[in-house]
Amino acid sequence: MPGASRDGTIDGAEEDPPHTLLPFLQSQSQNTLTRLYQRPSACLSMFRLLPPLDRQLVMNLLWLESAVPAGTMGAWVTRQGRKLYDEALLNLSRLHILPNPSVKLSLNGMFKTSLRQAVTGGGNNGSFGTAALKDDKHPPVSIEVLDTYAVERWETILHYMVSSGTGQLPTKPSPGVLFLLQRSGLMSTVHGSALQITSAGFQFLLHSPHDQLWQLLLQYLHMAEEREMDLVEILSFLFMLSTMELGKEYSIESLSVTQKAMLEDLRDYGLIWQRRTQSRRFSPTRLATTLTSLLPPLPTATSSGAGSQDQGFIVLETNYRLYAYTDNPLQTAVLNLFVSLKYRFPNLVVGSITRESVRKALANGITADQIISYLSTHAHPQMRKNKPLIPVTVQDQVRLWELERNRLKSEEGYLYTAFASQADYEYVLNYAKQLNVVLWENPAKRCFFGNLEGHGNIRGFIERRTGGQA
Amino acid sequence: MKAIRGVLLTCDSAVKQILLTINEREGNSFIIEDLDDHHLVIKADEEYRVRKELEAELEKNTYSLEG
Repeated sequence: MPGASRDGTIDGAEEDPPHTLLPFLQSQSQNTLTRLYQRPSACLSMFRLLPPLDRQLVMNLLWLESAVPAGTMGAWVTRQGRKLYDEALLNLSRLHILPNPSVKLSLNGMFKTSLRQAVTGGGNNGSFGTAALKDDKHPPVSIEVLDTYAVERWETILHYMVSSGTGQLPTKPSPGVLFLLQRSGLMSTVHGSALQITSAGFQFLLHSPHDQLWQLLLQYLHMAEEREMDLVEILSFLFMLSTMELGKEYSIESLSVTQKAMLEDLRDYGLIWQRRTQSRRFSPTRLATTLTSLLPPLPTATSSGAGSQDQGFIVLETNYRLYAYTDNPLQTAVLNLFVSLKYRFPNLVVGSITRESVRKALANGITADQIISYLSTHAHPQMRKNKPLIPVTVQDQVRLWELERNRLKSEEGYLYTAFASQADYEYVLNYAKQLNVVLWENPAKRCFFGNLEGHGNIRGFIERRTGGQA
Repeated sequence: MKAIRGVLLTCDSAVKQILLTINEREGNSFIIEDLDDHHLVIKADEEYRVRKELEAELEKNTYSLEG
């Protein structure tokens, strides 16, 4: 849909849950984080990842030379805001940005210096990357080329995932990517056969590109330790990339050894572009420069046919018919996960949501909620006039199909029956209840059902009792 | 007093009736105890097969547009 305007509606809701990277950073040691905070670009990126209230607090404290007593700051907080305020302080202290918030408030010295530098400029530590000198032979590559490259790389990965197991043979991503997919549990091999997508992988496909990217990068960070790579170097390089300018070339001279080693991986993911593998310069793509911002990571207005990732393209009718205005094989393949496709035209795919197609998706581990949320995020602008967005009939039916699969609940255990007397029965039942293992009971029939883990205890209990009587 | 090993199935009464029918058809092959309208105890090693049978039975009662 060329010409359709883009307002910031897509990522509007993204602020609510904390960014996926923050829990990971919170689990790191103070030492690691302080080293990371030596880099102004890292501090700026961190700042951008924080929730709004945390940012507000950091901004308030940034230019203060002395610490603020906790009571003084606390006096500003209304009763309703107390919980949010406490959460924000806890969050910041876990990130070691705000040490000891219960006594007095003062930013981590290193973080303060670096963020100030990031805001005001100055310094020559190259933490925002070193721009490459102008090269007369090769002018910098255009933004279109970068976008096409990023989309092609990224979609190769997703397309490989979605079509594994369907018998098609799409382009294989590099071994590094395949390894990452396998390690993150998105794909797995069964008996040494080719890689197959897992249920986590199916769920992954329905996420937004930004979430997908961070999910993979997080896995990359987890793997870094095993590969004996320095976490701080990796994080700071990712943060550096996220503050770079699209369409500019940067020199690899100022990168550390670890960071140079990362270039190859990041090239595979489509985060950076290099003219040749041995090139002394690189250009970040849109995937990289939007890592810590709310802008869409893939180009939206499209002329090349690929792309239009975030643009809504799905029209869904109350009769379960689905029209998808797309010529993108990846989007078609993703739809094929839960839609039975009927016709394919140059710019349009028609299909319908059927019981079989949804059951297939459910069997693959996709949930009804994920299907519905995928449909609503990618709804065509025309659909957005409807309220509710997704026809209620379809929503309910998809949920019902999910419930239908779970009509039977089962739990293994033991049925205790044929008690000699009511007193006996109640005595044992009481004991079982204390253990919290009773799943079903019926006093009239004098029997009850306990789960497997309780059996040993109950048996011992009864044996002790009958033993005592004997 | 005795303890019988088995699997407790919790289901709606319609599913329970189907299970009873299957059990009867097979000559009481898997149900150990019929507890109440929503609960049955069956033999532990039969669970997977019973689930398959039930699914096949339920499948007979659904109709789709694309036959």
